[in-house]
Amino acid sequence: MTTHTEEMTLNMGPQHPSTHGVFRLKVTVRGETITSAEPIIGYLHRGSEKLAEGLAYSQFIPYTDRLDYMNAMTNNYIYCASVEELMGLEIPERAEYLRILTMELNRVASHLLWWGTFMLDMGAISPFLYAFRDRDHILDRLNEISGARMTFNYMRIGGVKWDAPEGWIDRVKETVELIRENIHDYDTLVTGNEIFQARSKGVGYISKENAVNWGLSGPALRASGVKFDIRKDEPYSIYDRFDFDIPTREEGDVFARYKVRIAEIYESLKIVEQACEQIPDEGEIIHKKGKRLMMIKPPEGEVYKRAEASKGEIGVYLVSNKKKEPYRVKLRRPSFVNVEILEELLIGQPIANLVAIFGSLDVVLGEVDA
Amino acid sequence: MFRLLKGFGVTLKFFGSKKFTILYPDEKVEMPERFRGIHRFFPDKCIVCNMCVNACPTDVITLTGKPHPDNPKKKVIDTYNIDFQGCILCDFCTEVCPTAAIVMTARYDNLSSYDRANHFKDIDWLSSNEVYGNYTIEEEVDEDEAGEEK
Repeated sequence: MTTHTEEMTLNMGPQHPSTHGVFRLKVTVRGETITSAEPIIGYLHRGSEKLAEGLAYSQFIPYTDRLDYMNAMTNNYIYCASVEELMGLEIPERAEYLRILTMELNRVASHLLWWGTFMLDMGAISPFLYAFRDRDHILDRLNEISGARMTFNYMRIGGVKWDAPEGWIDRVKETVELIRENIHDYDTLVTGNEIFQARSKGVGYISKENAVNWGLSGPALRASGVKFDIRKDEPYSIYDRFDFDIPTREEGDVFARYKVRIAEIYESLKIVEQACEQIPDEGEIIHKKGKRLMMIKPPEGEVYKRAEASKGEIGVYLVSNKKKEPYRVKLRRPSFVNVEILEELLIGQPIANLVAIFGSLDVVLGEVDA
Repeated sequence: MFRLLKGFGVTLKFFGSKKFTILYPDEKVEMPERFRGIHRFFPDKCIVCNMCVNACPTDVITLTGKPHPDNPKKKVIDTYNIDFQGCILCDFCTEVCPTAAIVMTARYDNLSSYDRANHFKDIDWLSSNEVYGNYTIEEEVDEDEAGEEK
């Protein structure tokens, strides 16, 4: 007797816990094997780019918080930096350091959250709790300086909104120490775990050529052996003043992406420590032109600025026609580009690998849909 | 297998450690001074300049003024509404306010409701929004803050 398996369409999402938002994946399975996968996006679409055209330059800053809400500081930064470049503003030294500190702390928080939820997808519950505990230490620091835990709205065109509160730098140093210790524990808990390795090694392989051709960026690209990080290759802000490495792996699988992110946490902590040492004790925190919050009018022109967010390359293309509102804002969101490769990765894989592969790309749906 | 057991060691380490969570409705997290919570409005300070209305990125603030009873050139506030359905607590209204008439408190828990219409808050609610944490109602403290804003 021969067995016959029929193809079945399976809708994963839009309300699925491991899609980290509202992402829908239409999968066809034959038995356990995926034969086709179609990502359907747009459930969180808010029209951010169009909204920007009706808002003053500064008013769009809180909207950038809501793109990649795990890593809002870099979004804040890149938007402000693009307006600054158009206006030719010079940012005060202390403001640059505060920007670096908050951005790198936020990157650690974002990677920790990824680590927790990814392990949850892989079937481990306790890492999630540990990651959230440590992430909260960072969010507390960011809350102290910006007044919000996730949607910071901290950067301003020409600088930052607040100076660091008293004793903040010291508390950041303590937090860095604490997290460095704990990350070591996480490595012991998860990285060496044989079950985890068996599930992640060799799964979801992306070759070097494929990664470049699909336009991947961030840890997903570096795990495939491409040493590209905008912080090093095209230093923006004051990243050229810090000593840090770009972790890369050659394997290109889920495990490699995991290792790259863990290594990146260590590197970010290194940058935070150096910034804490180098930061000038006092000084201006905002350019005088930036203080006129609602009256910012950059000269006519266009600019594209990019930065390394925790998910990859985030870019802002800005066109100004010398009015109070921008003429056009185009956002290059790393998650949106990274999620495109998913279809190719999933075909031929068993259904059990689906969440592992999807989780390893670290996609945030606020950013995919914008 | 050895690494697996080593991982269990980490779990055991946390087993006896102090709890990090709190029992939320009974205990509350203390928010820092700058926390951007739900607004409080001071009607006496408002000069009806419309700055907050213009600065609001989601257009949720509406206000009207009436002539000052003593000085017809000046205006005093008549109605002041915030629609919290659309408010994103971005802080631009307090940032641009020249007299610190609208401030943000450390409150974050008094907006939950079963009805959407209840999120539309008027001047009475906003000016009696119980303040704790950030701002004290004493007159001199408020003057200091107003000076900083300027």
